[in-house]
Amino acid sequence: MKKKILSALICVMMVGSMLAGCGSGSGSSSDSAETQTEDSSGGSKTEVVIWDYFETDAQKEMMDQLLAGFNESQDAYEAKHVYVPFSDYEKQLTLGIASGELPDLVIMDGCGMASFISMDLFSDISEADIDWDEYMAGPLETTMLDGKHYGIPFAANCTALFFNKDLFDDAGLDYPTAETTWDEFREMAKTLTKDGVTGFGNAAVGTDEGTFQCLQWLYTAGGNYEEVEGGVDAYKLMQEMVAEGSWAKDCVNWTQSDVNNNFMAGNIAMQQNGPWQIPGIASEASDLNYGVVPLPRRDDNSEQATSIIGGESMGVVNKDDTSGAVAFLKYYDQTEVMVEAMEQYGSFPPKTEAAADSYWMDDPVQAEFIKQLETSIPRGPSPLWPSYSSALQKGFQEALTSAKTPEKVAEDTQAAVDAVK
Amino acid sequence: MTKKEKRSNLILFIVGLIVFIIFIFPLYWMIVTALKSQVEIFQIPTPLFPENLTWEPFKQQLSASGDTLRGFKNSLIISVGATGISTVLAIPAAYGLARFKFRFRKGLILFFLMTQMLPSTLILTSLYIMFSELGLLNTYLAPILADATLGIPFSIIILRTYFISIPKELDEAAKIDGCNSVTSFFKVMLPIAKPGVIVAAVFSFVYAWGDLIYGITFITNPDMRPITSSIYNYVQQYQTLWNSTMAFGIVAILPVILIFIFMQKYIVSGLTNGAVKA
Amino acid sequence: MMKKKKIMPAGTKAGILFALPAAIYMLIFVGYPTIQNFILSFKHVDVFTFSNPDKQSFVGFQNYVELFTGSSILAAAIKNTLIFTVSSIFFQFFIGFGLALLFSKKFKGSSFFRGVTMISWLLPVTVAGLLFKFMFASKGGIINQLFVQLNLMEQPLEWLLDPKLAMTAIVVANIWIGIPFNMMLLITGLTTIPEEIYESSKLDGANKIQTLFRITIPMIKPAIMSVLTLGFVYTFKVFDLVWVMTKGGPINATELVSTYAYRLSFEEFQFSKGAAAANILFLILFAVGLFYIRLINDEEEAM
Repeated sequence: MKKKILSALICVMMVGSMLAGCGSGSGSSSDSAETQTEDSSGGSKTEVVIWDYFETDAQKEMMDQLLAGFNESQDAYEAKHVYVPFSDYEKQLTLGIASGELPDLVIMDGCGMASFISMDLFSDISEADIDWDEYMAGPLETTMLDGKHYGIPFAANCTALFFNKDLFDDAGLDYPTAETTWDEFREMAKTLTKDGVTGFGNAAVGTDEGTFQCLQWLYTAGGNYEEVEGGVDAYKLMQEMVAEGSWAKDCVNWTQSDVNNNFMAGNIAMQQNGPWQIPGIASEASDLNYGVVPLPRRDDNSEQATSIIGGESMGVVNKDDTSGAVAFLKYYDQTEVMVEAMEQYGSFPPKTEAAADSYWMDDPVQAEFIKQLETSIPRGPSPLWPSYSSALQKGFQEALTSAKTPEKVAEDTQAAVDAVK
Repeated sequence: MTKKEKRSNLILFIVGLIVFIIFIFPLYWMIVTALKSQVEIFQIPTPLFPENLTWEPFKQQLSASGDTLRGFKNSLIISVGATGISTVLAIPAAYGLARFKFRFRKGLILFFLMTQMLPSTLILTSLYIMFSELGLLNTYLAPILADATLGIPFSIIILRTYFISIPKELDEAAKIDGCNSVTSFFKVMLPIAKPGVIVAAVFSFVYAWGDLIYGITFITNPDMRPITSSIYNYVQQYQTLWNSTMAFGIVAILPVILIFIFMQKYIVSGLTNGAVKA
Repeated sequence: MMKKKKIMPAGTKAGILFALPAAIYMLIFVGYPTIQNFILSFKHVDVFTFSNPDKQSFVGFQNYVELFTGSSILAAAIKNTLIFTVSSIFFQFFIGFGLALLFSKKFKGSSFFRGVTMISWLLPVTVAGLLFKFMFASKGGIINQLFVQLNLMEQPLEWLLDPKLAMTAIVVANIWIGIPFNMMLLITGLTTIPEEIYESSKLDGANKIQTLFRITIPMIKPAIMSVLTLGFVYTFKVFDLVWVMTKGGPINATELVSTYAYRLSFEEFQFSKGAAAANILFLILFAVGLFYIRLINDEEEAM
């Protein structure tokens, strides 16, 4: 009995002391754009709420700087951002549409925008005072549907080929270049596969992240997301290289982060990955001697390989008053602002002029990504993209695990893709 | 004890030890991984014990005291709240369903069981809209109410079982002493069913503490989020910081482990007192 | 042997009153969403009609039919879920029971062992899932490393990549998480057995095995049945663990009804189909629930 009272008392004390610390902090839900906040100069500004999923320190700093810059540059609006975890992001948006709990501006993965435009999340801003031609076609497409504009791209990136220079030197091989063909690439990978090292690895996990990586092989082979059979050679390449042991079979369960970890540890000699890995490599494997080139092209007669565009776009949420959100877009539209933000983020600005900035052109690794970006295309865009993505990724996984022959994979995937419409 | 008994006890002990070691290995691995560097984690073969002890993840998480403590505070509030609602509502319900025969009894039991049958991800949307209309989003009440929806039926079904195995003689004795159903409930049943009540409360608490989805969905204000939401600091869009994630797993359950150790004595005494003399 | 119990006088009012608050609570917070979910599954709500209530027409059973036709992922998911649940429960229960019997005896360190065993259940499920995903990795996973080093296997196995092995991996992880749940509930049940019964049976000359089967198990039958039923229902619903480890892959090898329903609703924005898939899960569990109700009735008459 005594013990019971004692333990109950202690629990109550613990709870009490913790509650005494701060207030209960029940914030109000952010659903209306018209909340007035006081700024330091005593006037009152309209609040503009932005959702994003930026979680690394670099990204958070970028947003803080961007918002501070915007807030200082004018007196009408006060921007603040709310972090929503990446893996929950689209679910939270969906819930928001159902309940009306929405911000003013949404920064989201570009390829997901089409679905949400269809769900009426975003507002048509085609009339806004923005010069659409200054933007790269690929990223801009993600913010459009039926010729109307719903926002602007925020950041653009793509994957390219990383290679471990030391392993190449040890094997006596020349480094790959933008002209390297699939056959040459295959030979390199084969030669490099020995002593516990696999020649090449990428991410083929069963989510859109896998599609993001694998799709470029389909396109480089001549297919596209609606006409799969034209790219059957991609499935052939994958299956044959895995059988040879030169394309890591584990890729079927690897995310891009897993791939990079293996590349840093020296388990794979080449990886397909994106510029966001660069800071990680610098901090965790600073003595890794590596280079980057665009992905291998199909053969000697082909152009540079395609890659798939990733990155975020910003959408203006469909509300009665969108002026605050549009003001933010216009602020970001300025080249200097965009360049500075992207330098911090580690991704690339979606405006042609901004991407030509010397910050990227002078860095040997970054310049290769810009080069690859020139022949990159977006996924879809289509409101039904998630269904396409899972149909396509299933096919890639079947090819990589030799569950079916390449021809059968192409056939079945084509059927699955046709069924989506 | 006879020699035979001693020997069989020893065998049991050894078997138990082996099972225990196999069972505990993943926990060991978790601790070890938390102490390695990212590169060492991906080495092949990876060492069974870290060669370079890396305390960074622990240091960082335990010293970001503001965030971690705040996360604990939020988790505590939510867990205590959910447990409170669960026990207060479930105990009488379990008693009623165990001791009284009435027409809807089976139906009610089935009803409570049925409330467990939909995955939480699918009642999420309705709850979200409901809470939004009630203005409960970004308050502690939302996850508390949501977490109790698991605690209550679970507690009812388990407690009902324990109430059933209490001999009816006690009911009769209480009646003779002049108690009606309510007083007999408080004075006689409750103390005897203590172990069951403790177990039910503990389960509700632990479940609420470990909940991620309700805490994340109904609360977007980072200051109010439970400690489980911090996992997203380490499982990111582009990479998973394995050592930090494992360290996080350990740090997140530290308070619960402490409460357990503290309550163990009480739990054990409660358990041994539970045996009823005929 | 147990004395026959007299049937309690009709306490209908009291019984209902005791149970009413809880029932109302659950009706509001779970009953209502469940009904909404049912209604949703009979409509046509997807990415195009989500914001347009006018376009959300009633389509009857069409969603259900579509989910089962063709190379039905749902049918495969149901099969997977059954395999997953039954194998998990089987091992969880027996290991948990064994440990409960072992740890209910007071020997040196029993409470310590018991306490440490609980930790696997205290861990947030997402962390446990990640831990196992990491341990089962084909290259660099400690399980392969150990098995090969201890000569239990020649070659590392591709646990999470091979459609045939992936199910084993998630089942093992689930068993690990579920053992403490079973153990704790069964230990508590074991403590309700009075010491005197064991003493008198020993005087009667019963050995350990006879005691186990003739006394212990029958006396905790209600606890056993609750544990099994709840275990079945909760395991059938498992989502986080599988999502974190395999997301239902590779190639739907570990696709459970819960992961499929989530994917349909929140990734493909096929909200009605997702609701329909979840309802199938509900119906299967409902059948299990009916079975449980029937069983407890029989057992209570016997007491």
